[in-house]
Order: sequence, then structure tokens, then C-alpha cells
Amino acid sequence: MEQPALRKRRNLDVEYTWTGRLFTWSGYILVALFTIFCLVPFWMVLINSFAAEKEIMTNGFQLFPADFSLDAYKMLFKSNQIYSSYFVTIFVTIVGTVLAMLVTSMYAYVLAHRKVKYRNFLSFMTYLTMIFGAGLVGFYITIAIYLDLKDSIWALILPYLLNPFFAFILVAFYRSVPYELNEAATVDGASEYKIFFKIVWPISLPAISTVSLFYALTFWNDFWLSLLFIDNHKLHPLQIMLRQLISNANMKQYVAGAAMDYAQAIPTYGLQMATVCLTIGPIILLYPFVQKFFVKGITIGAVKG
Amino acid sequence: MGFFKEIYRNRSLYTLALPGLLFLVIFAYIPMFGHLIAFKKFNATIGFWNSPWVGFKNFEFFFSSGQWLEVTWNTIFLNSLFIIFGLGLAVVMAILLNEIRLAIVKRFAQSIIFMPYFISWMVVSLMVYALLNTTDGMINQMLKSLGMDAVGWYNNANFWPSILTIVYVWKMAGYYSIIFLASITGISSDYYESARIDGATRFQQIRHITLPLIRPTIIVLALLAVGRIFYGDFAMIYGIIGDNAALFSTTDVIDTFSYRALRQLGDFGMSSSVALYQSIMGVVAIILFNWIIRKVDKDSALF
Repeated sequence: MEQPALRKRRNLDVEYTWTGRLFTWSGYILVALFTIFCLVPFWMVLINSFAAEKEIMTNGFQLFPADFSLDAYKMLFKSNQIYSSYFVTIFVTIVGTVLAMLVTSMYAYVLAHRKVKYRNFLSFMTYLTMIFGAGLVGFYITIAIYLDLKDSIWALILPYLLNPFFAFILVAFYRSVPYELNEAATVDGASEYKIFFKIVWPISLPAISTVSLFYALTFWNDFWLSLLFIDNHKLHPLQIMLRQLISNANMKQYVAGAAMDYAQAIPTYGLQMATVCLTIGPIILLYPFVQKFFVKGITIGAVKG
Repeated sequence: MGFFKEIYRNRSLYTLALPGLLFLVIFAYIPMFGHLIAFKKFNATIGFWNSPWVGFKNFEFFFSSGQWLEVTWNTIFLNSLFIIFGLGLAVVMAILLNEIRLAIVKRFAQSIIFMPYFISWMVVSLMVYALLNTTDGMINQMLKSLGMDAVGWYNNANFWPSILTIVYVWKMAGYYSIIFLASITGISSDYYESARIDGATRFQQIRHITLPLIRPTIIVLALLAVGRIFYGDFAMIYGIIGDNAALFSTTDVIDTFSYRALRQLGDFGMSSSVALYQSIMGVVAIILFNWIIRKVDKDSALF
């Protein structure tokens, strides 16, 4: 009688043997190392945006610069480009997310609705666009020539209003809403519009907010559309402004516009790092609050394939 | 029931779908006609319909130059590296995170690892530049302080498959590890309990319980990526490499090649023959992928 009980205890203690401990600690160390690896670039960008330009020029980028200055930020805030770029990015993100959410949620609702006879055909049509790409040239010509959206802010918004992948996430969610709700509302004489906006929207708010955050991130981080369609520097979003800070030979004029004192030396690296910080700043600040929505969205999306 | 009757009966519902439908037609289906430009000598001033047909001339240029082999190889090779190392490290991280008993430490590490996913490739590009540029980059500064020579990272194409893989892992491992972590958390604790009673070590538990049970997730994610193996990540490659021709031999992918043909050379014909080639190879890859997934796990097949 005694023996099984003894054996059980001994085996439960397996974690406390030296191999068990070694395994646990090497796991902790590996996670710690990878965490630091993920964090270093963020730290480097942040600390060097406050480093004196002279310091970077003589000692290069460092994890702990010795000499600090606010010159980069001062110059950035005195200039015009950062304001117009910020405005473009914020406008595109807000207007884009709202419109995309409206279009996508209505469309997904119809795809999920039992009454709609052609819903499978619509799903197939949507799905096909994920498999067979239109290609760059057709896309470019349609938007730049036929829609004449070159150097228009709408070129940064319209092409992303319906992402099939996000639509299918919403379809999966709508399908889980009990159909009786719809039937009951129909019996009470509610129109389909009313059912969608007054009943379905409120209860699908968790899914809606998750997908909106994905859309917002897409709009904020995109530079593909502006690379293709925007030449006018007044319509450059933050991401393209960053690109210009590396590739534009006439950086001084680009950043400051006409209001620039040409005698002043320009802190090139500092400006780049400071603009990076201002670009990712809002994301990092919101990150603790929105992270859980993204985790939920990713795990739902993965389950649905 | 007739088509019009159905539309009329559910007209309010179809109206809700109308904006989305219009979007698909304008931004996905009409642009598909662009593939025809691969067979035309396109001239924007006389328009799409009036441009003359030239048969396969645009393809000849792309395929005879030998560049098609290079960009196709680069696309497949880089994507394979990303799939193997990206998913591989994500699995390792998910398993190790799951072993951490302190909830706060676990959540903190997970948050940090997931953070790079939220950063645009353009920002990543500047981070890479600050780390690797020849004169002032942090890596070269460290090499110098160790008494070694600075390395011209941006002049030598051979470094870049590895660099891009490291960057990809940095950015995406957190994203994938969240999926794996969710699938590990879904494993019933009964398995682990009975394994412990039988004297299995932590390592044996991982090897014989965790890994086999998350295998389907790994396979599905890997195959999804394989289905898109002909599509390079334009934002990533163009963001980081840009127009640095010294690095093209190992980093130029189909998407960046097609982009440059259009925007820099203004060669609509060649750009679109490249795009058509890519779309067709993409469909072939998807069909192949579906065939494989049918063999592995019938329920996950797409069609």
C-alpha cells in the first residue's frame, strides 16, 4: 500500500531535480534574451532621438549616449512637414477606419445572412480576390488614370476599405449570433436596416472593435499606397516622411519648407530618430490598452484559417 | 425563383452589401483587366483599348534576361527562410512562455515580444539602418570597440538573406507565438497530470504531449504561408532595401522587380507580364497547397 504513494510523490518532485531546474532556468534565460532582443531597437531609437548630433557623428549610435540635446525635436516642431504629415496620417487612419468598418461590417452581415440566396456566390467572389491578385499595373492604372486619384488623399483610403480576411472574421462572428434574434425582430416589424444597426451592431461590438483596430493599424502603418500615388509632399503621411528623411538629398528644405534658417546645421540622424519616435509613439502609448483585442483577433483568425 | 425576384425580395439586404460589392468590382475585378496589358504595348495617352497587341513580346524581355530566375529564386528562398525560422522560433517561444509560472513575467515577456508586430516596415528600416550603417551604425561601433574592422553591410548582398530573416523573426515571432500559445493553452491539463504521475520530465512532456498536439496548428500556418510563397513582402523588402542596387542579387523579389519596372522604368508591359506570371504561379501554389492539406487534414482544405 505504501509503495504507490511513495512513487507518486517522488515523480511529482521531478521538477525539483537538477535537470528539471536547469531546464526551467535555461528557458527563462532564453525568453529573457529574446525579450531584450525585441526591446533593443526601440530603446536605441528612443535614446538616440535625444542624443546630441555631435555625439552620434563621433561615436555612432549607442545604447547609452553621453551627450543629450533636444535639437532634433525643436527643429521638427518648428518645421512644417511634421504637422502636415501627422495630419495626413491621422485623417487617413480615422476616416479610413470608420469607412472601412461601415463597408466591411455591412458586407459581412449580408454574407452571413441566411435569407440571402446569393451569399455563397458573394463569398466566392470575395474569396477569389484573395487567390488571384489583380497585379500592380491594373491596380495602378485603375486608380491613377481611370479614377484620377493621383495626389489625392482618397487614394490612401479607398483601396483598403474592404479587406476580405477581416470580412471573413466578421462573417464567422455574425454566424454565431442566434438567428432567432433576427426572426423576432422581423415579427416585430423591424426593417433589415434597423435590425442591423440597432440590434446586430451593438451585440457584435467586441468583434467590430477588434477588426477596427486591425484596420487602424493598417492605415497608420501603410506606405505602399502613398508610394504609388502621392508625389505632393503636403500629402506625405508619416511613413513616407520617414522614407524621405533617408533618401531625400535636400532634406533641409523638405523638413522645414520655406521657414528654415539656412545657416543652421541640420541634425540628420536626430531628425530621423525623432520622427520615428513620433510615428510609433501613439501606437506604443495605446499598446497596453489595445493589445488584448489584437490577441483575440489573431486567435479567432487563426482558428478560422 | 428568379434572379430579380430574389434581389427585389431582399433588396434592403443587398443594399447593405452594395458598397462592398462596388469596392470589389472597382478595386479587385476591374484591375484584373490590367493583366491584358502584358500582351499590349501600353500607351497611356491613347488608352487601354487602343493600345496595340504585341503577343508575348513583354514576356520575352523578362524571361530572356535571366532576371526572372533570380527574382523567382529570391522570392521563394527568402519566404522559405521566413517560414522556417519565423514559425520555428515562435513555437520555441510559445513553449517556453507557457513554462513560465509567474503570470506577471509571462505577460510582460509576451507583450514585449508581440510589440514589433505593430511597427511599420518603414520604421523597421530606419532601425536597421541605425544598427548597420557603415560609419555610425551601432553594430559597427561595437565591432570597432572590440578591435575589429567595420563591415560594409549595405554593400554586400550575401549578408542580406540572414539579416532579413533576423528582422522578420524580430517582427513576426511574437505574432505567431500568440497563435501557438493559444493552442497550447487549449491542451487539457489531464495529459500533463498523468504524464507527471508516470514520471515524465518537463522536457518529455513537451516532446510527447505539447508538440504533437500543436502540430496541426504549425502545419496549417506553414501551409498558409507556402500558399503565398510567390508573393514577396513588398513593404518589408522595399522598405528595408529600397533602391540599393548593390543588394538586388539576393533581395530583389518579384514584387519589387515589378514595382521598379512600373514606377522607375515606366514599362507597363513588362511590369504587367511579371505580375501575370506571379498571379498564375500564385494560383498554382494555392492549388498545390490545397492538395497537400487535403492529404494531411481533410477538414482544413479550402476547396
